[in-house]
Amino acid sequence: MKANSEISLMKGNEALAEAALRAGMQAYFGYPITPQSEILEYLAVHGTKRGAVILQAESELAAINMVYGAAGAGARVMISSSSPGISLMQEGISYMASAEIPFLIVNVQRGGPGLGTIQPSQGDYFQATKGGGHGDYRLIVLAPASVQEMADFVFDGFRLAEKYRVGTMILADGALGQMMEKVVQPPMGSLPLAEKPWATAGKPPSRERNILTSLFIQPEKMEEVNLKLQRKYREIQSEVRYEAIQVEDADIILVAFGLAARISQKALELARHKGIRVGLVRPITLYPFPSAILSQIALSAEAFLVVEMNAGQMLEDVELAVRGEKPVHFKGRMGGMLPSPEEVLREIESIAAVHAANSELIS
Amino acid sequence: MSTLVDDLLNQTRTAEQAKYTSKDFQSDQDVRWCPGCGDYSILAQTQRVMPDLGIPKHKVVFVSGIGCSSRFPYYMDTYGFHSIHGRATAIASGIKMARPDLSVWVVTGDGDGMSIGGNHLIHLLRRNLNIKVLLFNNQIYGLTKGQYSPTSELGKVTKSTPYGSIDYPFNPASLALGASSTFVARTMDRDPKHLQAILKRAADHRGTAFVEVYQNCNVFNDGAFFQFTEKESKDDNVVFLEDGKPLVFGKERDKGIRLNGFSPEVVSLKDGKWSVNDLLVHNEKDTTLSFILADMTYKPSLPRPVGIFLAINRPTYEEEMTRQISFAKEKRGEGDMSKLLNSGETWVIN
Repeated sequence: MKANSEISLMKGNEALAEAALRAGMQAYFGYPITPQSEILEYLAVHGTKRGAVILQAESELAAINMVYGAAGAGARVMISSSSPGISLMQEGISYMASAEIPFLIVNVQRGGPGLGTIQPSQGDYFQATKGGGHGDYRLIVLAPASVQEMADFVFDGFRLAEKYRVGTMILADGALGQMMEKVVQPPMGSLPLAEKPWATAGKPPSRERNILTSLFIQPEKMEEVNLKLQRKYREIQSEVRYEAIQVEDADIILVAFGLAARISQKALELARHKGIRVGLVRPITLYPFPSAILSQIALSAEAFLVVEMNAGQMLEDVELAVRGEKPVHFKGRMGGMLPSPEEVLREIESIAAVHAANSELIS
Repeated sequence: MSTLVDDLLNQTRTAEQAKYTSKDFQSDQDVRWCPGCGDYSILAQTQRVMPDLGIPKHKVVFVSGIGCSSRFPYYMDTYGFHSIHGRATAIASGIKMARPDLSVWVVTGDGDGMSIGGNHLIHLLRRNLNIKVLLFNNQIYGLTKGQYSPTSELGKVTKSTPYGSIDYPFNPASLALGASSTFVARTMDRDPKHLQAILKRAADHRGTAFVEVYQNCNVFNDGAFFQFTEKESKDDNVVFLEDGKPLVFGKERDKGIRLNGFSPEVVSLKDGKWSVNDLLVHNEKDTTLSFILADMTYKPSLPRPVGIFLAINRPTYEEEMTRQISFAKEKRGEGDMSKLLNSGETWVIN
């Protein structure tokens, strides 16, 4: 363990695990799955001796329900897995959304569907941002693009989860989990534990007993619960975060998150070098989605290019934000394959060529 | 009573008595386990036993979940199904109910079958479908590179238990017996003859056959079973269960197991106090005895029991299912879908 503020070289998975301990995580439940087993392994070594409960469950199903129990009892809890394991957890996530349990879940994505591959992917965007399990609920979804953000977003994740009593997901991928970069860890214990008067942690004489449930048989009551959740999700819209790079003068706007944003940023540099004015919008919160900035940019830019490591999932949210104002193109690779900056550049060049031809026709 | 299911199986066996060798069951895939893995032996013994079963290759299907053992179906030149973590037993159940004429084999491990698959496994065992379950037990998660499994011993230091495991391990044989399995056996990767004999018996059993195979993971848990599998220590640490025979073991065959009340204990046959006549005699049909024998497993003062704990007959699920369908047809007549849809309160809207 490195001292506060010291720069260290860490794997993304390990940086995230170390950050969780510094953020005061009290319990972690997991199950081995590539490419995120290092989170469990790091915590098993470093978490146990720092007083955290670290448990390898018999399955992801058991693990997520241990989270339900521990977080319901008021503990600050994290769980992590990779895509197939996250699918297994959807039942528990839906129940916790209804029961308003705060927790942090990490998905180090791999290519699917099915057992798929252990290579990095962004194929779980829909599942992460649109619900995943049954019923009308949302998770706050944070998309890191560096090892530093793998660490930083743990703090944001716990803070947001506890502020709104929702689940927060860190949506990473196998490459971010496995690659090593320098990281400055946030100082230990800088995220104070809030009071959780709703938790099932013993009944003081001062209040009624707490019962956590997601069962509301009467439809009137169930609708009330849903309306409350929806009010909360509207409030969460104020937490939107994104990074905008060289968008001011840009004709073509790249939109990409996570690892795809890093690839896109390299493509941006290559394109700028060739004199094509390209900008990049990197959504950091995938839910709430930064629609407003995209709607605004749609007024000035000529075209959008969405770059993802999937078949076009965030693409739909970009199209909704742009509302047909400008053409939205897509470049994606699937199944664990990464788009190269050169591939993205070629796409930019062909969009620029069409744009130039159109401009000539008009003038 | 001969049922439709028996007829189907018998047809399978007799109609095409192909003459196979073990080579016929080797697929064209490169076998990719770590060099020295115990899985190679289990694969080889299975391929050796298959020709003796008289089942045409195209009537055989191997189903696996996720884990090192689950690569097995790629290497058998039969039908195969590499399925979902822990779900192989449920998927195999579906296959067997849709196609009772197929010979269905499940290959699983202590991770796949005892953790997330534990629930499906016990329900397969109580239903008693005619499916063969081979559980490769290496007491570690190999595929994810060395975390503890549900059969890892207490105190086991692994990547996810750096201070030692505090989870008490399952004893797969006891678990299977507790789930009312009709056939429960244990064998070892490094005893090819015994392994072949057990596979043959499992194949011949009518109902779910549960076979635990001790398997050495030479990379992440090397030597976990060496005291039971290696020449120098095997005779003194293993008691082989043989139907109708007293439980004798030891290099000099000078030790035995006798029952003291319900508790097995080791006695010496050398000092004249006990003779072979005092020893426990194995009976594969005795369910009570099977529990006592399986319970010897983690007791350090007792040798490890290896062999068939239990082999009894109970109607298989597919037999009962076929019988129930025939009964329903007999009682209510052959079903007619359009008649059903037009019965009761129906209206014609003009």
